[in-house]
Amino acid sequence: MSELFRTPLYDAHVTLGATMVDFGGWEMPIQYPLGIVGEHLATRKKCGIFDVSHMGRLVVTGRQRLEFVQKVLSNNAAALMPGRAQYSIIPNESGGAVDDAYVYRWAEESLFVIVNASNREKDLAHFAPYLQEFDCTLTDLTFTTASIALQGPDSEEVLKRLTGADFICDGRKNALNILEAEGRRLGLSRTGYTGEPVGFELFVEATEAVWLWQRLQALGAVPIGLGARDTLRLEAGLPLYGHEMGLDPYGVDIPVFAVPLSRFGVNFAEEKGDFVGREALLAQKEEGADRRLVAIRLTDRGVIRAGMEVYRGQERLGYITSGTMVPYFAFEGDTPTDNTGKRSIGFALVRDARVGDTLEVDVRGRRLKAEVVTRHLIQNQPPYARAVL
Amino acid sequence: MNYPNELKYSKSHEWLKYDDGVAVIGISDFAQDALGDVVFIELPQVGDTVTAGERFGDVESVKAVSELISPVSGVICEVNDGLEATPEELNSDPYGAWIIKVEQVTEEEELLEAAAYEAFCAEEG
Repeated sequence: MSELFRTPLYDAHVTLGATMVDFGGWEMPIQYPLGIVGEHLATRKKCGIFDVSHMGRLVVTGRQRLEFVQKVLSNNAAALMPGRAQYSIIPNESGGAVDDAYVYRWAEESLFVIVNASNREKDLAHFAPYLQEFDCTLTDLTFTTASIALQGPDSEEVLKRLTGADFICDGRKNALNILEAEGRRLGLSRTGYTGEPVGFELFVEATEAVWLWQRLQALGAVPIGLGARDTLRLEAGLPLYGHEMGLDPYGVDIPVFAVPLSRFGVNFAEEKGDFVGREALLAQKEEGADRRLVAIRLTDRGVIRAGMEVYRGQERLGYITSGTMVPYFAFEGDTPTDNTGKRSIGFALVRDARVGDTLEVDVRGRRLKAEVVTRHLIQNQPPYARAVL
Repeated sequence: MNYPNELKYSKSHEWLKYDDGVAVIGISDFAQDALGDVVFIELPQVGDTVTAGERFGDVESVKAVSELISPVSGVICEVNDGLEATPEELNSDPYGAWIIKVEQVTEEEELLEAAAYEAFCAEEG
């Protein structure tokens, strides 16, 4: 077995008693002793910290950095204002996704791109021929920098105490800022992968990672592993490459526009110009993808999981792309109580299904009833995210 | 990790004791720790027959499904239905939260005493 990469926080995770697993070639914590259920709930009620240093952090510099980014990523980077970030897809020529990504405009002279850990090497190989066409340089900062996500209702307060600042950054999602904390430079974005209305991703030099992790913990943030990162993003309706995007279990590209959120990451404006996959993506957008991702909740007793087939009567409509059992807090008015519940939710890639439809999922030979819903989580009533039951 | 001496253990990590000839069965501390948070249990029904070495139900964690294997052959006379609502009891109290009780026991799997089971777990983990 080839060796796994480790983030600068590896020792910290082991000391905390984390269960470590191979994730995309990195040795990462799947959970800490609190457990996936407890970690999911802690993020929703207080705040959690996630080591996301395994993700690919790339910077593009040089005269034609914008032209290069416009060519290989699907969103309009020319419309990206300084101090802001945007979701984007790295498309292939046939309308599928090589990866999904986020593009950040911290400074004037560079564009910062974050990609999935499991796809970093694939993305770099994909970019290489296009890089030849433009006067720019792509530098991989993954191993010299680190990143920690801080997510949950208490996260802004924690950052204020860490930095001593009254103002963290602009209140809109995707805003960026650079602050100082205890003499160290802290990049931050109002972004995240949990659906929490209040949350940030923090960026530091690799040498500062341990300091940042310990400080955030001391200020009350709870360490959260990749297991809960997945249940949180699932509840939030966020796609995971390899499940909702990329190749399906039959090796066929999932159309980018099968995923509703893709429309925020793909831009056909003339200002953006031509880009990889533009023609195929435009056709998908205009004709509609032949299958679509829908949010689905199991109404019978059980747990739905990725790969399970979805039916309407005898008709096979598609399959579950992601599914599990997730915990939630019962709310009293606008605040979470201490009472919790569990529900099995997920996503299905299906043709011809609409919100309100009753479908069936084949759970190890038994057909269990499920309902197509609009969303699993209300995310626009800060400070708490709440389950749509 | 806890291995009560009065119980016997199977290599698939179930525990067994006899109460007045009735076999009481659950999962061990090692099993619940390896599973992580148990979020769902599929239970059999009273009256079902079970066969030593064969599946009688499932437990599910967030990430995975795990079969429950019966250490004995017999007929189920009691099921801990409360676990349907609170499967996490298997994590917090693996030796108190029994899963099924079996009567008319005709056959037993090869079972280990606590010390031997602890050694077996040390090799697995």
